[in-house]
Amino acid sequence: MEQIQIPPVDLAVVAPLITVVGWAIVLLLVDVFFVPAGQKRITGYLGIAGLVMAGAVAAPLWGSDSSTFGGMLVLDNFALALTWIFLLIGAISMVIALDYLPRQGIEQGEFYPLIMFAVSAMMLLGQSANLIVMFLGIELLSITLYILTGFAYPRLSSEEAAMKYLLLGAFAAGFFVYGIALIYGQTGTVQLFSTAPGQESLAEYLGRQTFAAVDLTLLLVGSGLVLVAFGFKVALVPFHMWTPDVYEGAPTPVTAFMSVGTKGAALAALLRLLDMALPSLQPIWLPVLATLAAVTMLLGNLGAIAQSNVKRMLAYSSIGHAGYLLLGVMTVSERGVQGFLFYLLAYSLTNLGAFAVLIALEQRGEAAWSLDDFAGLWQRQPFLALAMAVFMLSLAGVPPTAGFVGKFYVFMAAWEGGLGWLALVGMLTSAIAAFFYLRVIARMFMQEPVRDVQPQLFRGLTLGISIAAAGTLIFGILPTLLINVVQQTALAVGR
Amino acid sequence: MLTNYAFIGILFVVALSFPLLPLIMAFFLRPKRPTTIKQSTYECGLEAIGDVHVQFKVQYYLYAIAFVIFDVEVIFLYPWAVAFDQVGLFGFTAAAVFILMLFLGLLYEWKKGALEWI
Amino acid sequence: MTSFPLLSIVLWLPALGALLLLLLPRNRDALYRQVGLMFTVATFVVSLGLLVSFSTPAGAAASAAAPPTMRLLEQLPWIPAWGVGYSIGLDGVSLWLVLLTTLLTPIAAWASWNSITTQVRYFQVLLLLLETALIGVFVSVDLFLFYIFWEFTLIPMALMIGIWGGANRMAAAMKFFLYTFAASLLMLLSIIGVYALHRSAIGATQPGFGGTFDLLRIVADLRSGAFALDGNLARLLFGGFLAAFAVKAPIWPFHSWLPDAYSEAPTPVVILLSAVMSKLGTYGLVRFNLTLFPEAAGWAAPAVAVLAVIGILYGAMVAYAQSDMKRLVAYSSLSHMGFVVLGIFALNGLGVSGAVLQMVNHGLTTAALFLIVGMLESRRGSRDLAAFGGLWQATPVLGGLTLLVVLSSAGLPGLNGFVGEFTIMQGAYSSPTLGWPFLAFAVLGVVLAVVYLLRMFRSAFMGDTLAETASLRDLNRQELAVLVLLCLPMVAIGLFPNLLLVSVEEGVAGVMRGILVAVASR
Repeated sequence: MEQIQIPPVDLAVVAPLITVVGWAIVLLLVDVFFVPAGQKRITGYLGIAGLVMAGAVAAPLWGSDSSTFGGMLVLDNFALALTWIFLLIGAISMVIALDYLPRQGIEQGEFYPLIMFAVSAMMLLGQSANLIVMFLGIELLSITLYILTGFAYPRLSSEEAAMKYLLLGAFAAGFFVYGIALIYGQTGTVQLFSTAPGQESLAEYLGRQTFAAVDLTLLLVGSGLVLVAFGFKVALVPFHMWTPDVYEGAPTPVTAFMSVGTKGAALAALLRLLDMALPSLQPIWLPVLATLAAVTMLLGNLGAIAQSNVKRMLAYSSIGHAGYLLLGVMTVSERGVQGFLFYLLAYSLTNLGAFAVLIALEQRGEAAWSLDDFAGLWQRQPFLALAMAVFMLSLAGVPPTAGFVGKFYVFMAAWEGGLGWLALVGMLTSAIAAFFYLRVIARMFMQEPVRDVQPQLFRGLTLGISIAAAGTLIFGILPTLLINVVQQTALAVGR
Repeated sequence: MLTNYAFIGILFVVALSFPLLPLIMAFFLRPKRPTTIKQSTYECGLEAIGDVHVQFKVQYYLYAIAFVIFDVEVIFLYPWAVAFDQVGLFGFTAAAVFILMLFLGLLYEWKKGALEWI
Repeated sequence: MTSFPLLSIVLWLPALGALLLLLLPRNRDALYRQVGLMFTVATFVVSLGLLVSFSTPAGAAASAAAPPTMRLLEQLPWIPAWGVGYSIGLDGVSLWLVLLTTLLTPIAAWASWNSITTQVRYFQVLLLLLETALIGVFVSVDLFLFYIFWEFTLIPMALMIGIWGGANRMAAAMKFFLYTFAASLLMLLSIIGVYALHRSAIGATQPGFGGTFDLLRIVADLRSGAFALDGNLARLLFGGFLAAFAVKAPIWPFHSWLPDAYSEAPTPVVILLSAVMSKLGTYGLVRFNLTLFPEAAGWAAPAVAVLAVIGILYGAMVAYAQSDMKRLVAYSSLSHMGFVVLGIFALNGLGVSGAVLQMVNHGLTTAALFLIVGMLESRRGSRDLAAFGGLWQATPVLGGLTLLVVLSSAGLPGLNGFVGEFTIMQGAYSSPTLGWPFLAFAVLGVVLAVVYLLRMFRSAFMGDTLAETASLRDLNRQELAVLVLLCLPMVAIGLFPNLLLVSVEEGVAGVMRGILVAVASR
C-alpha cells in the first residue's frame, strides 16, 4: 500500500513546549503518587525547576526562524522572547504561591501543574501561525484558568469568579470559532502567513487581491468576531465587564498570573494575526483598534479611581494597561513589536510584584486590601512599602522604572506610526492613573496606621517580590539590556 | 459568492417548516377537550415523586466525563487503525504518545479516587 | 571631552552619600545628619571647581548657526538603540544654577538638623537624592536623560513634603506630584515628537540614521537647516514643553499647587522647592523652548508674557493679603517668577540674561526669606504676622539681616534683586515682541513688592513689642553664619553683577543664535 506522506516534524521548534507539557503531566502524577499532603510545596519546587529547564532548553534556539507541522507552529525570536517572558511569569507566580496556598488552607498539588499547562498554552499562542492552533491555545489557557480561578473553593467569591469567567469565556470561544469559520469561508485557509513557498495563507490571499474588485465582507466580519474574542480575553473595553469581579475573586497568585499572562499571550497572538496576516487591511482595522485602545485606556483608568480596594483597583488598572499594550500591537512596525515585548515584560514584573505585596497583606479568611490597610505600612514593613512604591511608580510610568521605559517605547511607536493623538490619550490617561497609584504610596508613607494589620512575609514571597522589584529597577535604569534583546525579535512585519 | 449561501438559507427554511407545519396544522385541526388527567405531566406511566431539581451524585458527572474522553479517543483511533500500514513508524509513535497521555490521565483519576463509587 | 569627569562627580556625589547613609547602623540620628551635611558641603566645594573651566572665555562661536557651547561635556552611550546618551555639559546658563543648587542644599541640610526629628536617616537620603536629580536636570544635554532627572526630582520632593510636612501634608504632596506629573507627560510627548520628526528628517538624507535625543545634535541640525521645526505641529510641541515648565515655575494660572505645597513643606524642603525647583521650569524654558522652537517662541511670546505680568501682579496682590508669613513669601515667589518668565519671553539677549541672573537672585533671596520664616516659627511656634511685633528690640541681628533680604527681594539698587529686575525690564522694553506696556506693569509689580515686603517687615519687627516676643532669642552663631553666607552673594552680585553676567551672557548668546536666525528669516 502507498505510504501517506507525513510532513517532516522539526522537534526543535516545539522543544520548550514539549518540556513544559511533559513535565507538567509527569508532575501531576508525581504529585498525586509521591508527594504527601501538607508538603505540596515540593511539587511547587519541582514545577519551578521544570520552567527553568524549559527556559534552558529554549536558550540555544535563539536566532532560529523555523516552522513545523505544516507551518502551523513557528519558532522565531519573537516567539522565544515571549516564551521566556511566560516562563518567568509562571515561575514568579509559583514562587509567590508557595506559602499562600497552605496559609489559605487551599493547598492542592494540582495548582503547580495547572500553572504549567497555562504557561504552555501561552507559549503555544506565541508560536502559533494558524487560527486553529490559536484556538487550541486559547482554550487550553482558558480551561486551566477557569479551574485556577475557582481554586479557593469553598470561598464563594472564588467560585463566583470562576463561574463568571467560564460563562463569558465560553461566549468568547464561540465568537472565535465562528470568526474562524467565516474567514475560512472567504479565503479557504486558516494559515496566517506562508512558511513555505506555495503554501496558501491569509497573507498570500490578501496579497493576490486588488481590493476594489473583491468583496471582503466575510473576511472582515470573521476578523471582527475574532477580534471580539480577543477583546474578551485581553479585557478590552467594552468586553471588560468580567475583569474586576474575576480578578478580585480569584486567589491572588492566580490573579497575578492571569492579569499579565493572559493579556500577553492573547495580544501576542493578535499581533501575529494583525501584523503578519492582515497588515494590508490596516486601513480598515486601525480605526477600530485605535478607538478600542483609547476607550480602554480611558475607562480602565477612570474605573480604577473609584476603587478603595487595592486588588480591585489593580484589576481596573490592568484593563488600562491592556490599552497601552495594544498601542504596540497596532502600529505594524518593528518599533511597535519591540515596544510591545518590552512593555509586556516590564508590566509583568511590576504587576506580579504588586500582587505579591497584596498576598503579604492577606490573612486567612480576611483580606486586608483596602487603602486604609496600607496606611503606615512604611513603619511596619519598610521592605514591603518600598517594593510597593517601586511597583506603583512603575505602573504609573515614572522614571527610573521599567514601566516608564515601556510606556516611552510604545508611545514612540505610536507616534512614529502616525498615531500621535492616541499617544496623547495615553499620556492623559497615565496622568489620571498616577492619581490612584500615588494614593497607595501616600497612604503607605505619609499616614499613621489606621487598622492593625500584620503583614506576613515568607521566604518565597520575599524572593518573588525582590526579583520583581529588582527587575523593575534594573530595566528602568539600564533598559538597553532588554532593548538589545527585543530588537532582535522584530518580526518580518507584513511578511 | 453569496448566492451559494442562498441554498443553505432555503434549506434552512424548508427544514424548519417541515416539523413546524404539521404541528401548527394539528393545533388548528384537532378537537380540544381538556381534562385534568390529560393535562398532567405524564398522562400515562408513574406518578412523579418529589421535585424535578434533584442533585445527582458528583461521581455521575465524573463518569460521564471519563466516558466522553475515551469515546473521543476511540474516534481518533479508528482512522489510525484503518490506515495503520500507511502511516508508518511515525504514525505509530504519535498514536502511542496519544494513548500514553490518556493512560497517564487515567492513572491520575484512579489515584485521586475519581473511579470509585462512594 | 575632558579627561577628568568633574561634572559627573558633582552630579553623583550626593547620590553616593545617599547610598552610604543607607549602609550606616541603626538609630544614629546625629551621625546621619553629619553625613548628610558632609556630603552636601563636599558637593558644594567640588562644584566650585566648575568655575575654573569658565575662567577663560570661550572663543567666538564657530558660526552663527552653531549650537550652544557646552563645557565639561561628557558623552557616553546609554541606550544606543534609541540614540540616548549619558550626555552632560555646562554652559553659562546652567553653571550658576548648579552652583545655586549646591550652595542651597547644605543650607537645607543644616536647616533640617532642628526641624526634622523623625526618620532622620531617610530625610537625609531623600535630600541627597533630590540634589543629584536637581543638578542632573541642569546639566543634561540629552532630552531623554533630562526627562528622567526631571521626573525623578518629583519622587523625593513629594515624599519629603508628604512625610515631614504640616497637617495637610498628604493632600499637598499629592497635588504637587499630580500637577507636575501630568504636565510633564505632555512634555514627554513633545520629546518623542521632536525625536521622531528629527529622525525622519535626517533619515531622509542619511539612510540608516537611528535617531538621537542629543540636544546639541538636534539644535545643530535645526540651525543648519537640515531639520526644520515650524508650523502648527511645532507650536503644539512647543506647547507640550511649555505646559511642563509653566506648572513647575509656576506661571499663572498653573500655580494652584504652589500655596499648598509651599506652606505644608518643612523649612529645609521649602527652601529647595522655592529656590531651586521652581528654577527648573524657567531653566527649561530657556534651554528647550527657546532653543528648539525659536519660531514658535516668537509666536507665543506676547501671550506668555501677558500671563507672566498677570502672575507678577496677582502674586503681589495675594501676597499682600496674607497674614501667614510662609504663604506670603510663597506668593511673593510666584510674583518674582513672573519677572523671570517675562525676561525669557522678551526674546533678546538682555531679557534672557536678566532672567537667568534673576533666577539665581530669586533663589538666594527666597531661600533666605523662608529660612528666616522658619527661624521665627521655631522660636514663636507660629508664623502668623499678628503673633509678632517689635522683634527688632529682641533680635536686632536677625532684624538687620531680614531687612537686607527684604530689600534685596524688593529690588533695592545695590543689591542683587535690582540688577536682575532692571536687566529684565530693559530687555522687555527693547524686545521685538513686547514693549513699554509690559514694562509699565512690571514696574507696578516692583512697587507692589516693596509694599507687601515692607508690610511684613514692619508688622514683625517694628511697632510695639509684644509680651510674647520680647524674650525671643537672637541668632546663635550657626544661624548667623548661614544667613550671612546667603547674604554675601546678594551683596556681591548687587555690587559686581559682571561676576555672573559675563558667563551668563556667553551662555545666553548660544541660545540667542537660534532666535536671531528665526527672527532674521521672518
